[in-house]
Amino acid sequence: MAGELTLEDLSKMAARAGLKLAEDELQKLLPGVNRALRQAAELRQLVTDCTEPASAFSALKVDKVSPP
Amino acid sequence: MTAGDLCYLTISEAAAGLRRKDFSPVELTKACLARIETFDGRLHAFITITAELALKQAREAEKELHSGNDHGPLHGIPIALKDLYMTKGIRTTCHSAVLENWIPDHDATAVAKLQEAGTILLGKLGMHEFAFGGPSVDALFPAVKNPWNTAHIPGGSSSGSGAALAAGLCYGALGSDTGGSIRTPSSHCGIVGIKPTYGRVSRYGVVPLSWSLDHAGPMARSVGDCAILLQAIAGHDSKDPASATVAVSDFRAQLKDGIKGLRVGVPRAHWFDENKGTDPETEAVFNDALKILEGLGAVIVEIDGKPFSITRKANQTILVCEAYAYHEKTLQTTPMKFGTSVRRRMLEGAFLSAADYITAQRARSVLNDQIRANFSRVDVFAVPGAARPPEAFESVDPNEQNLRPNFTNPFNLTGLPAIAVPCGFTPGNLPVGLQIAARPFEEGTCFRVAYAYEQATEWHKKRPAL
Repeated sequence: MAGELTLEDLSKMAARAGLKLAEDELQKLLPGVNRALRQAAELRQLVTDCTEPASAFSALKVDKVSPP
Repeated sequence: MTAGDLCYLTISEAAAGLRRKDFSPVELTKACLARIETFDGRLHAFITITAELALKQAREAEKELHSGNDHGPLHGIPIALKDLYMTKGIRTTCHSAVLENWIPDHDATAVAKLQEAGTILLGKLGMHEFAFGGPSVDALFPAVKNPWNTAHIPGGSSSGSGAALAAGLCYGALGSDTGGSIRTPSSHCGIVGIKPTYGRVSRYGVVPLSWSLDHAGPMARSVGDCAILLQAIAGHDSKDPASATVAVSDFRAQLKDGIKGLRVGVPRAHWFDENKGTDPETEAVFNDALKILEGLGAVIVEIDGKPFSITRKANQTILVCEAYAYHEKTLQTTPMKFGTSVRRRMLEGAFLSAADYITAQRARSVLNDQIRANFSRVDVFAVPGAARPPEAFESVDPNEQNLRPNFTNPFNLTGLPAIAVPCGFTPGNLPVGLQIAARPFEEGTCFRVAYAYEQATEWHKKRPAL
């Protein structure tokens, strides 16, 4: 991660995501978002090039019924 | 027997009483409905009470039992459901204004299985809104209160399930667990709850929070009752793509096998003292519980808690991304329909990247391997059910889960089965839970350890003064 997000960053990202959030709501979101981004960055130190994600597609699952 | 005593019977005791004709399913149901009427105005455990349906089902169960058409130990037993289990023709709200008037046209698989087992549905239970965030203090329905002290939270997100059982309003309940939502309210309310192995119980018809972390499971007032309920709802379901084909063993058959020689791993180092650390009163009660297990013949083995500690970061990253993906449209169009707590947590997922999510799933692989490697040295893990006693509503800190060790997340991330069982009280008379986790699909081992502990102690017999 390049660095912490600013309120301006968050505002642009929210608009791009189709979210209509007031500035005070964005202000309240900012600490939680930056904490979430720091956590995600820390997780990068755990993985190597060989690590596959835990969720994997299986071609054998043929009997799936779509949930509602 | 007083009406209160009747409502506090275990499922096993009630089932035996029904077959002796000491009382009928209608009498059990009426006793529960009367108790709900008396106490739920203060507790808010129920969102929807299905009294008419319950009495109809009770009369049918009575006829069937009298005619010898016995469906087993749950036949004629009144239960209730966390309000994210879809129920055909019955409002399913997820404790949210978003689904205020939603009436599903089919039942969740677990609900259908409980119906086949002959249970009686008393109603739908309050929860944290969409099973996320904190106590839903500004949601459409009132926040559920803890029967041990109504100024305190009951834990969540299966709050109503924990409170209703502790208050004697039903005999069994279903909860769901994405980061601790069965085990935390079980610990905070002094009852038993098991998060089964991922894939053991169908998630079909359970409104998702995070597909890869969600688990459905039972809650009750005794270990044996949880085993009965899990037996009824476990098994493969082709409607759930994550459903496992592993055979379901007879959970009750293993209950009395004892724990002599069982190796109990305690991942204390580098975890219990994380951030503000485990509440000292809670850790003292937990340490006493370990001594009981040791006295029963178990061998306590201290192991490294570091990988357990890191799971929270992966769990939270995956959870907010998947929750945001599921609720994206509503968050874009009518975000204020959500309560503050759940809305802000879900919105974090909008600002994480695809690479962040995939990295968390890759970290999950690493942590899963590291945690499971301990099974060469130990048979089960033991940790507190929660790092601190239930907080007072007025002092709830939305960031609390980041300030103390999270003892439930590791078993969602790894999918391992984990049970919470009452193990004592703080000096302030608030319940504390003991959590036992086992190898994948070894729910029977969780039950065996929890049962041995339960039978050696009296905590599960204590009742809140309502």
